[in-house]
Amino acid sequence: MSDINIKKVSYLAKLALNDDKAALYEKSLSEIIEWVDNLKKIDTEGVKPLHNITEKNQNIRNDEVLKNNSTEEILSNAPEKAQNFFRVPKVVE
Amino acid sequence: MTTIKEIKDQLSNKKISVQELYDDYYNKAKKSELNSFNQLLEPEYNKQNIINSQSRYDEEKDLPLDGIPLGIKDLFCTKGIPTTASSKILEKFIPEYESRVTQNLLNDGSIFLGKNNCDEFAMGSSNETSFYGPVINPWKNKNQINDHLVPGGSSGGSASAVAEKICVASIGTDTGGSIRQPASLCGVVGLKPTFGSCSRWGVVAFASSLDQAGPITNTVEDAAYLLNSVSSYDPNDSTSSNHKRDNFLEGICKNFDRPITIGIPSDYLKDVSSEIIEQIENTKKHLTNLNINFIDVEFTTTNFALSTYYIIAPAEASSNLARYDGIRYGYRGKGDSLEEIYVNSRSEGFGEEVIRRILIGTYVLSAGYYDAYYRKAQRVRRLIKDDFQRILKDVDFILTPTTPNEAFKIGEKLDPIAMYMNDIFTVPTSLAGLPAISLPSGLSKNNLPLGIQLIGNYFQEKNLLQMASLLEKEFGFNG
Repeated sequence: MSDINIKKVSYLAKLALNDDKAALYEKSLSEIIEWVDNLKKIDTEGVKPLHNITEKNQNIRNDEVLKNNSTEEILSNAPEKAQNFFRVPKVVE
Repeated sequence: MTTIKEIKDQLSNKKISVQELYDDYYNKAKKSELNSFNQLLEPEYNKQNIINSQSRYDEEKDLPLDGIPLGIKDLFCTKGIPTTASSKILEKFIPEYESRVTQNLLNDGSIFLGKNNCDEFAMGSSNETSFYGPVINPWKNKNQINDHLVPGGSSGGSASAVAEKICVASIGTDTGGSIRQPASLCGVVGLKPTFGSCSRWGVVAFASSLDQAGPITNTVEDAAYLLNSVSSYDPNDSTSSNHKRDNFLEGICKNFDRPITIGIPSDYLKDVSSEIIEQIENTKKHLTNLNINFIDVEFTTTNFALSTYYIIAPAEASSNLARYDGIRYGYRGKGDSLEEIYVNSRSEGFGEEVIRRILIGTYVLSAGYYDAYYRKAQRVRRLIKDDFQRILKDVDFILTPTTPNEAFKIGEKLDPIAMYMNDIFTVPTSLAGLPAISLPSGLSKNNLPLGIQLIGNYFQEKNLLQMASLLEKEFGFNG
């Protein structure tokens, strides 16, 4: 059995799971983690982790300011907005 | 009238107008009952594009894809057109910008019919995780004619629509097999280009070190037409390669002027059904007809590829999907605090499989497990890449089945791991970032399409398409 604490993992992922769902995902995750655990059988001593296939030719843009969108455009998809801002519940008392 | 070349000839020779062509496809798509489009654009939307396209034909200045009606996987941001990733969380999202890939297609004159259904956030192998419901494969099992079959996934809407011929071609994305597997299950052609060929700018992110756009088409030549358009350097994607692109149409149906050797990995064929082995045996016969040598090769890392993928892809997904917080765009759940909004938006907005993958990713990246899982998987990923390079020193291409099975019934596979096994032959190539194409090689006993996969070396898509076009002619597969 794996040691997955599903409540902790879902807390980190900002996901709320009711008890039924938590049990379902805990079982599912345990099975998947057990399944991927075969990686323990392959020797990777001295092997450098590969983050990205194109590791040799990452292109970096010049840090130039471009104006390619407006406040109005950016706010057009906001679920709630007020004036030129995204609207959220009060954060500071 | 099937291939892009034939359609373009008809448009040039005035046998048909751009409007007539569009109406024909639009009407077919409108009547389709396979749920392959999340949204079909209203004819009004394309009116001006069609007029412009027609005048270019009239002036004999037509662009490479002028007037060609395409489907676009609903994972590409399209300016002013809803882009949902088949998720409730993006149900009302209307991008203010165009993805590089779809901009290229528009620049080349193509007409968008609409946005193709797909698995939610491209996470799935059967198109059953879509918030907009499953897509149905146009093919039927002749022994169970009433069953609705999956088209594969995640680009299931794209593959189904191309197979049903309600769009000429579609552009999909492939992270672990999401172009090739549905292409195989629907009897069409699917190409995943080398990672870095097509810009990820404006593609809803799943796993950024793996995601790659590519064509789903009825013919290899059509795939070359689309790749010519979508493969380009883009400074907005830091992993975009800035090498000079080939004209991918140049090699189509031409014989090679040098000896070609194809490697067939015996370890891929150990536990597959006799029907799948038959496809490979049959392909060998055709290779012999084409005077192409084949040799047995053996990978040492195949057994570890799926495990590596199911650590790396969910890890990257959990990070990429952290942006969906209900604040700036997308679905917002109710809440009296920021925390409540975050949690409710995400818990109500994401579907079951997406939540599963976020949880896996969060777990393997969490303190105490990072080295054992994520770091370990990245090390194994290098071994997988090296394994491919070792074999590609001796052979020009690698031939494998695309999938371990034919299309299955909607609702049949409920266990996640059983579903993940669908990508057993496509995932290794994705991890290595290599280009690979799936093409239909024949029919199963149930009269369902089966596909083979050809894998090439980095940025060798021209040769890969050339090889695939020769085999395509040999197979004579008629969808």
